[in-house]
Amino acid sequence: MTGTTIDQTNRPESQVKELFIKKQSENKPASPALEKFNKAAFEKFEKLKFPDRKHEMYTFVGTKELVSTSFALGEAGTITINQADAMTNPASKNSRIVFVNGAYSESLSDLSGLGEGISLEPLSESIGKKEVSDYLLESLENENDVFAALNGALLTNGLVLEIAEKAAFKAPLQILYLATDSDSPTVHCPRLLVLARRSSALDIDVKFSGGGDHSFVNATMDVILEENARISFTQFQNNSAWHLSKLKASLKRDSRFLVSSAMAGAKLARCHYEMWLNEPGAELQLNNLSVLRGEEQAHNYVQIHHKAEHCTSAQLFRNIVDDKARSSVDGTVVVHPGAQLTSSDQLINNLMLSDDCRADNKPNLKIYADDVKCTHGATVGQVDEEQVFYLKTRGLSEATARTLLTRSFAESLIETAQSQEVAQDWRNVLLKKLEANA
Amino acid sequence: MLEIKDLHAGSEETEILKGISLSVKKGEVHAIMGPNGSGKSTLAKVLSGHPSYNVTSGDIIYEGESLLEMEAEDRSLNGIFMGYQYPVEVPGVNNAEFLRMAYNARLVKQGKEELDPLDFDELLQEKMDMLGMESKYKERNLNDGFSGGEKKKNETLQMALLEPKLAILDETDSGLDIDALKIVAEGVNKLINQDRALILITHYQRLLDYIKPDFVHVLSKGLIIKSGEKDLALELEAQGYDWLTKA
Repeated sequence: MTGTTIDQTNRPESQVKELFIKKQSENKPASPALEKFNKAAFEKFEKLKFPDRKHEMYTFVGTKELVSTSFALGEAGTITINQADAMTNPASKNSRIVFVNGAYSESLSDLSGLGEGISLEPLSESIGKKEVSDYLLESLENENDVFAALNGALLTNGLVLEIAEKAAFKAPLQILYLATDSDSPTVHCPRLLVLARRSSALDIDVKFSGGGDHSFVNATMDVILEENARISFTQFQNNSAWHLSKLKASLKRDSRFLVSSAMAGAKLARCHYEMWLNEPGAELQLNNLSVLRGEEQAHNYVQIHHKAEHCTSAQLFRNIVDDKARSSVDGTVVVHPGAQLTSSDQLINNLMLSDDCRADNKPNLKIYADDVKCTHGATVGQVDEEQVFYLKTRGLSEATARTLLTRSFAESLIETAQSQEVAQDWRNVLLKKLEANA
Repeated sequence: MLEIKDLHAGSEETEILKGISLSVKKGEVHAIMGPNGSGKSTLAKVLSGHPSYNVTSGDIIYEGESLLEMEAEDRSLNGIFMGYQYPVEVPGVNNAEFLRMAYNARLVKQGKEELDPLDFDELLQEKMDMLGMESKYKERNLNDGFSGGEKKKNETLQMALLEPKLAILDETDSGLDIDALKIVAEGVNKLINQDRALILITHYQRLLDYIKPDFVHVLSKGLIIKSGEKDLALELEAQGYDWLTKA
């Protein structure tokens, strides 16, 4: 037999294997159950492999540079309490969970402002319980995103947040994923599982921040909503270099999961949403605003499964892309057999401000039931010249008019943030980027 | 105040205005009437500086200065107000905030200090009371989802705030029912004074029952074919445009 031998040791997956072996030996997993999970996740990773250019889940997302970079595992970093305070929404001063470089920081976290009804446990302990281990192993079994599998393989620990039955809270819970700067490529793999028990309600405000030019945040969050639970969930991606995250939610009867997300973009930022409306009456809202300049990228990959009757999902994506930035929304709604009276809307609006920017959209509907109301659509456009002229005839300069109109495009999504404080936080970052344009 | 001299203008290759001359002095109200397609709206757009229309020859002198090289925003800042036939809807831009920006842009131009939101709100409320407008106009987005009448009222409010020296109202009356027309006309009448000039562009004589012009001009095929005093409007109402355009 003739031919060339492919040098397997240089494949990016081999580098991950080395990293995995090193981690398992040097940084012994915190419990045997977690070790087992790491191993199963690594096997899944090996099976899935890094995406090639034609991978259907990464159609618009170039991962070549990311996977060919040799990352070291993130080590414990120091964030001072003042630094953490500066990142915290004032309403959550005593209700925050902080991760530093992927690991839960007990000293920076404080749930005293929430009182009874909320509890935290390290994943290494929770995973010993049947409910958690069954959920995680089943999720892993069905996992199709290689980076989520990679998170499972490389995570050193995680956190399980349980919201007790009928518990409700005055303050929002803030979850800060912070990373320290490093000189060389470093990967962080935070993991959080939220169990919202029957009829509980909580506002969660997630923020990814920091990390400098060399960090890769590969985060996974799971939210399980039991009957009649309500979680309002805002998420703000404002960290540098590489950011990949997966948010998976499972909704039981009459539960509501309201997600508003904002992305400031990065060298590569991608959010994967996998949403399951499993029982009648479940309701999902998923909004995202991306504001991108320079060579920033932000991608959204969405899979929404309507498994039961009378469920509602509504999605609104707005992307503002300038310079050579790139955005994409690849979103599928699957209405499974029997999910009658489903109501599902999806709208993607893109505002393109330069000749070299790019916005890809792939709205997709798969309907296997016959009595449903589903809409989807995408628009691509520039600032409306008649609007610009109208504002100019009222004495506003061309630049002011354009900035105002671009802001207004963003504002309608910012208004869906769960609180004025969160909205202001987004404005301070995202609208400032637009001002720099004027 | 305004001197239009043998103005030829159009969009792309088509010449629409074919040599218009008109002189407007302080304190005067001029009505420009004419059938559809006569060039009325083109004249309004050219005066406001719309980028889709080019002046091929002639000149427009405003307060001693040619407007031709002046951007739309500078025309506005120098005291020209254009009231739109179809005011543009701008979703996501709060009406009160927009009005304050426009008002402050003018203050800055005049070398004055900007008004803060509270002081501005007081001024805005005063103007809205004068025009009999409800406070919902403040909270809504600029013309977004407004009815025809509401849009024209909002245009009148902008005019009241910006206090222009020269206002050009393009078909302010079209599409309004009689009650809305009365309110808008009343608002405009309150703003007319010795220092301002007003150009009313209209298809219907009806508007001139409520706002009395000093001069009436008939525009046809891009030319002013007849000028007269306010009686001319009545004549037009009675006999239509045919007797002029066919002459």
